[in-house]
Amino acid sequence: MIINKKIKRTMLESKSQYFGSLALIIFSCLLFTMFNLVSINLTGLSSSFEKDYKQEDANFMASKKINNTKALETKFNMSIEETNTIDYSVSEDKTLRIFSENKKVNAPAIIEGKTLSGGDILIDPSYAKANKLNIGNSIKIYDKNFTISGFMSLPNYIYPLKSESDIMNDPNSFGVAVISKEDFNGLNKGNIAYAIRFNDDRSNVDNKMSEFKDYLRSENIIILSWMNVTDNPRVTYFTAKLSGIEKMSSSMPVAVLLLTCILTGIVMFRMLKREAVITGTLYALGYRKREIMKHYLLYPMFISFLGGISGTILGILTLRPMMNYYVSFFNIPVGSLSFNITYIIISILLPIFFLTVCSYFVVKKSLRSSPVDLIRGGKEKNKVGFLERKVNLERFRFSTKYKIREQLRSIPRSIFLLLGIIMATMLLQMGFAAKSSMDSLLKDSFNESFKYKYHYVFNSIQNGKPEKGEAFIEIPFTMQSDNKATFTVYGVNPNSQYITFKDKSGNILKSDKIIITKPLADKFNIKPKDTVKLTNRLDSKEYSITVDSIAETFVGQYIYLPIDKLNDMLGFPSGSYIGLWSTEKIDIPENKLLASVTVDDMKKAFDTMTKPLQAIIGGIAFMSFIIGLIVIYVVTSLTIEENKENISLMKVLGYRKKEVYSLILNSSSFIVILGYILGVPLLLFSLSALFKSMTKEMSISFPVTIDYIYVIIGFIIIYLTFELSKLLSRRKINRISMAEALKSRME
Amino acid sequence: MMFLEVENLKKSYNTGDVTTTVLKGAGISLDKGEIGVILGPSGSGKSTLLNIIGGIDRCDSGTVSVDNTEVTKLNDNKLTDYRRENIGFIFQFYNLIPNLTVGENIEVVSNISKTPLNTDEVLKSVGMLDKKHRFPRELSGGEQQRVSIARAIVKNPKLLLCDEPTGALDFSTSREILKLLQKINKEFGTTILMITHNAAISNMANKVYKVRSGEIVESIVNKTTMPAERIEW
Repeated sequence: MIINKKIKRTMLESKSQYFGSLALIIFSCLLFTMFNLVSINLTGLSSSFEKDYKQEDANFMASKKINNTKALETKFNMSIEETNTIDYSVSEDKTLRIFSENKKVNAPAIIEGKTLSGGDILIDPSYAKANKLNIGNSIKIYDKNFTISGFMSLPNYIYPLKSESDIMNDPNSFGVAVISKEDFNGLNKGNIAYAIRFNDDRSNVDNKMSEFKDYLRSENIIILSWMNVTDNPRVTYFTAKLSGIEKMSSSMPVAVLLLTCILTGIVMFRMLKREAVITGTLYALGYRKREIMKHYLLYPMFISFLGGISGTILGILTLRPMMNYYVSFFNIPVGSLSFNITYIIISILLPIFFLTVCSYFVVKKSLRSSPVDLIRGGKEKNKVGFLERKVNLERFRFSTKYKIREQLRSIPRSIFLLLGIIMATMLLQMGFAAKSSMDSLLKDSFNESFKYKYHYVFNSIQNGKPEKGEAFIEIPFTMQSDNKATFTVYGVNPNSQYITFKDKSGNILKSDKIIITKPLADKFNIKPKDTVKLTNRLDSKEYSITVDSIAETFVGQYIYLPIDKLNDMLGFPSGSYIGLWSTEKIDIPENKLLASVTVDDMKKAFDTMTKPLQAIIGGIAFMSFIIGLIVIYVVTSLTIEENKENISLMKVLGYRKKEVYSLILNSSSFIVILGYILGVPLLLFSLSALFKSMTKEMSISFPVTIDYIYVIIGFIIIYLTFELSKLLSRRKINRISMAEALKSRME
Repeated sequence: MMFLEVENLKKSYNTGDVTTTVLKGAGISLDKGEIGVILGPSGSGKSTLLNIIGGIDRCDSGTVSVDNTEVTKLNDNKLTDYRRENIGFIFQFYNLIPNLTVGENIEVVSNISKTPLNTDEVLKSVGMLDKKHRFPRELSGGEQQRVSIARAIVKNPKLLLCDEPTGALDFSTSREILKLLQKINKEFGTTILMITHNAAISNMANKVYKVRSGEIVESIVNKTTMPAERIEW
């Protein structure tokens, strides 16, 4: 059709509106393709890693060596492998956890280099990178030199945390390594642990594990520690990250797409209103409704097709760097990337579908008018909106009245701006909130509650009064009502120097009572004086305890009992303990220790982790700035275009430039501020919900807070974006000539 | 010196290679408190003349002075001040702001005036006080033009410029509008310059200038002016 020739010309006349839509579609498709492909690839990596390298179902330490592994494997239809492990202190603040090479369960996956032969060592790549170690270099372990034959990942150390209670890893000071069983035996050191993996039917693993534990008990083997893979933070952190990405891949692009739909709807509506006379004339000339509809639908189709293709290509191009970025946090082998064709097609078709459907309704509504009505400028012209009529603005100054009327005149435009600002705010504050929450969790909550500097865990139960430090017991438990969520029950000194909690009113809670931390209490809806039924994860025995108080802290999901009470409850001899807390270093022989963590380790890990976070915050802030700029600029352009005659009239009537800028450009300030005010709590709410669902099956909880300084910085960024777009729009106002007002116009 | 003096005004427009001369040395003058009518067919240059007098367009040569101010010498900022303080505009198609009520449309001007008249009184004088809270699209053409007049006079301008004020109205409504303009001229002593192609309107003017092809071809001074209610066409 010849009239289609005007599509390109019309678009070029209102560049900012169409380019704004295009940019939002590109952004939406980029996010959609990138996040979905990252999610698919990470899930694929995770499941193939789990299967190919036989990730454990659980690992445990026992009071005595298990000799009949072959018989057990047949009896329980599983693989069981004895693993030797030792924490080797490379220097005072650097530990390398060395494992003997497994073949049946938790086999190391070689990422680079070659498999082990005598005198070789495989190390994890992040530790190697942080400590500048290359393949072929040699490392000295207890006077024996080992040659690095390659880099590897362990299926039970995807996120190499030193201790299970750690929140983040620090490759500078902690790494994992594997040497051959023969070489390990040569060291004559280390602890023995067992990793198990059930074969064939894996549907009822929990029951099978219970049966296995019962069997061990019947053989008088005491389980010293037991960790299901589903409770292992070194694996579940990765799963949580995956679920986070999945949620991002579904929510963010849809939100941007929604924004684009509203924008396109507005742009189409304006255009049809402006072109009512042309449409009416085409009708009068004998064009069919279908033909006119087709013409107008070509606008959104063209924009969404162009945006869909460009965004999807950009999404595909960013997959590799994004994967590298995600994988840099974890230790997992990356093979070739898969480009799922379904998602690529969906990414291209989704905006076309949404925008065309949305525009269809707008065009349909407009074409309902008769040719005469259209030639006269459309029916809508004579309508006064309900709000416009009802609102009483008598008491306001003229400029306020004008600005309010301007918003009431086009509610969809105001909604678009409001949603755009809310989205930009949420995106901007997402990074800030993540940083604030980490700061508050570690620096405030942690330091306030835990006063120790060293945390030692023995590899067997100790007895008597320790020479130095304060004794504690830590045992993993589950609720009887929900055996999926594991938490730790601590036995602590009734007058503990190292644990301090406060209740809701700020009163200090003494450790001679049974205290439960708030995240755990919230999770199971526990109140003081409630009796809770627990199951010991190590031996599956059941207990019930009555909670005295709830501690207002976010450090984790814990229950604290006086140590004697816990020993008594578990049937341990009085004076038993498994670990020590201390403010100074205690000399404990390495072969007695299962783990040792210092607060300094945590702080270093925190710094290492937050460094890349700062870059991400910067990146996200830039993205939100761009979205904000697009939205505000497009809305300002729309406002100027709608007010063309008014601006011209104001100039004729003697308004100065600044007065016109103020009336027209500042009419949206209120919406920008409102959007920001709504955006901050909305983000905190959705981030809390996101973290809650991500950490549902983990024993940590994440308090979402935001430092007021970031709220101020965020506001400054958003407002500067607004000011910048106003500055860019001034030229448009200046370009409007006074002649516009003199052209005929009828109301 | 006359209140309004236009001398030898020339103006042409360039569109690509084509130059169109719109004014070829036009000259008019009005005393304070007079009503002047510029009469001419479409394309004769009367609107251009009015726009230059109103300070919304510039001439190529010649002078325009209003109340001893030489408008043609003013820079952009001074021209804005000139329009803001001295000139009231009435347009053929009213040019009201559609999303502002009648009262608010008047405020568009009173908002920037140094000594505006009371909005309600002005609305009363144009017979629109009872429709103060209506929107322009809820009014008839005549009513909209009344609001447009109220908006123009609320700042008590020295010179009221009317561009075909009855051009879009029927006969009786037109006569009402002309009556209103005559009333304003008498009550406030406002000098009015009106452009029209309706020769009948020239009967209510003190001076009439006939324009053709950018030139004043005839100027008439009416010794007696006809009351607007007696004008017929």
